[in-house]
Amino acid sequence: MELLNLFIKSAFIENMALAYFLGMCSYLAVSKTVKTAFGLGLAVIFVLAITMPINWIINEYLLSENGVFGVDLTFLRFILFIAVIASMVQLVEMVVEKYSPALYTSLGIFLPLITVNCAILGGSLFMAAREYNFGESVAYGLGAGFGWFLAIIAIAAIREKIKYSNVPPGLRGLGMAFLLTGLMGMAFMSLMGIDPAAF
Amino acid sequence: MAEVAEKAVVEEKEPLFGSKERKLLTDPLNDNNPITVQVLGICSALAVTTLVSKAVVMSIAVVFVCAFANLFTSLLRNRIPKQVRMIVQLVIIATLVTVVELTLKAINYPIYKELSVFIGLIITNCIVMGRLEAFAMANRPWRSFLDGVGNGLGYGAILIIIAVIREFFGKGTIMDFGIIGAGSKFLINTETSWLFGWYAPNNLMVLFPSAMFVIAVIIWIQRSWNTKLVDIS
Amino acid sequence: MHSTRYIFTFVLIMTSLVALVLALLSTGLKDIHKKNEAIFNKRAILSTVMKEEASTFEDDKIADVFNQKVKQYAINASGEIVDDAAVQAAGYKGGKAENIDMKKEVKKPVENQLMPLYVYENNGEKNYIVTVRGKGLWDEIWGNIALKSDLNTIVGVSFDHTGETPGLGAEIKDNPNFPKSFENEKIYNDEGEFVSVKVIKGGADPADQHGVDGITGATVTCDGVTAMMYKSIAKYEPYFQKIKGENSKPLGN
Repeated sequence: MELLNLFIKSAFIENMALAYFLGMCSYLAVSKTVKTAFGLGLAVIFVLAITMPINWIINEYLLSENGVFGVDLTFLRFILFIAVIASMVQLVEMVVEKYSPALYTSLGIFLPLITVNCAILGGSLFMAAREYNFGESVAYGLGAGFGWFLAIIAIAAIREKIKYSNVPPGLRGLGMAFLLTGLMGMAFMSLMGIDPAAF
Repeated sequence: MAEVAEKAVVEEKEPLFGSKERKLLTDPLNDNNPITVQVLGICSALAVTTLVSKAVVMSIAVVFVCAFANLFTSLLRNRIPKQVRMIVQLVIIATLVTVVELTLKAINYPIYKELSVFIGLIITNCIVMGRLEAFAMANRPWRSFLDGVGNGLGYGAILIIIAVIREFFGKGTIMDFGIIGAGSKFLINTETSWLFGWYAPNNLMVLFPSAMFVIAVIIWIQRSWNTKLVDIS
Repeated sequence: MHSTRYIFTFVLIMTSLVALVLALLSTGLKDIHKKNEAIFNKRAILSTVMKEEASTFEDDKIADVFNQKVKQYAINASGEIVDDAAVQAAGYKGGKAENIDMKKEVKKPVENQLMPLYVYENNGEKNYIVTVRGKGLWDEIWGNIALKSDLNTIVGVSFDHTGETPGLGAEIKDNPNFPKSFENEKIYNDEGEFVSVKVIKGGADPADQHGVDGITGATVTCDGVTAMMYKSIAKYEPYFQKIKGENSKPLGN
């Protein structure tokens, strides 16, 4: 039950994209059509759900003072986290390419983009800062990924429609995307007061 | 040896700081700005722009990381194995970011506390990674260094502009110095300053979404003035 | 294309080089980091009684003032002052109250918790400063509360947080008016019952001595502050009762 709360909290209330504005680069760059946004969103859920538990293990057993080495190695946290993320992304890419070429053609091109998606590293850093336990880190990873997925689908759908509107030239494309995200962020802020325990 | 000799010849031909080098520094400030044109590095731009002091520190950190990551990658560009290219680049960036974090923690602890995870997120700041891929892997060290500085500055400039707007309207201060509203230290230090005391800080400007609106307006202004950037698709 | 062997050596050399550089830097700067952190906390503690003055002091001055004017005690749940050895036994090197990590303490069962208490003495007047810790909207919030020698009236407070929303929850720290509104509030009611101070949504009655105005849009954080104040100060209650019983006896010995 606790885990379900955390999932809902991380997906809706603490939405990575709309409450923290993380992963904005790919969020803005790949949200021109719903189809591509869908692919990227799935890939983000996938990678967040894998890297979060792995980084949790690394943080708990390798880097902390009570870990295997018995010394405080937190200064290596950034390097190890990003190395795990990069290698996981590459591994996933290779596995998908080998076993499911169909999935690879739809997902594959987005995978390298994900390594530098702030939401992934941000998720791991938040997890470390908030001292989640293993179960919580899995739930948080899934929830954060799902929330990001929803956000990018929503903006892509709006951008598809707005393409046919008469927008001032200077605001066309990027400017409009920023304004829309701001408005969506404001809408999401109203979810902040929700107590997830009420679900 | 051959490589060194070749370098010397090339350096003779090109001045250390010619027009091309200047372009590397100035281009990212407007025509090829990382935030408003290349759409890179937005994440941290939003979170650290509530106060000018935070934005300034962040800009310095990004200029440093960007410049030196470019320099090191460029120095190693012929030795980096292609298969692990991305991880090697990320390790370089992550190392530099850790250096920044440790140094900042020693120099200015309060600011370090304020920036918290956003220092770490410089690693995934796409500007750094993007410049490594697009420029440093194919260019000589000195030029890569300049390109890094230029992009860092272009990023920092926008960051500071956003922060000035947000802090001014959101808190009535700039760099914690009261300008308008109650507590104004400008001209007459009084709570009831007839000149500026009437302003009530607009809290919306401190909230996250306002950064989006400010960037959108900046893009709008930039594109109406620099029309070749307008999105025609 | 490079050979596998080349890749391995390259990666190996690179990672060991990087780890070495960072390890050196990290150990080299560790003492400064620790010192900065201590000063940061001491400044927060002093700011409850000295107000804005504390933020104008240089780092060394903070340490000086703290050493001269503040006495620190570690207190257990039954209101007794414990000695340095007991604090060390709880895992805090240095053994002083300032070494206690509240983040770890609040996770222990209440009866095993240690709490730091700071007594600030200036011109013969004593202020008791207690530490509070709780949960905000996103993450932990904490603070220091300074009480007058009647152990009832609040002199000043300072709050801090890890990740509250800028402009909303973060206002507990960023907006100087919020801590200011706690001044002169009382934590006991007229019957001598502990009631703490509540943050009231929509604004408190100015005559109410146990309520302060909430922050618009930050209801969850404000409720967190209310809960934190109540729970954390209640832990000091046994000790307060004790020194109230002993009346004007000097503290500690």
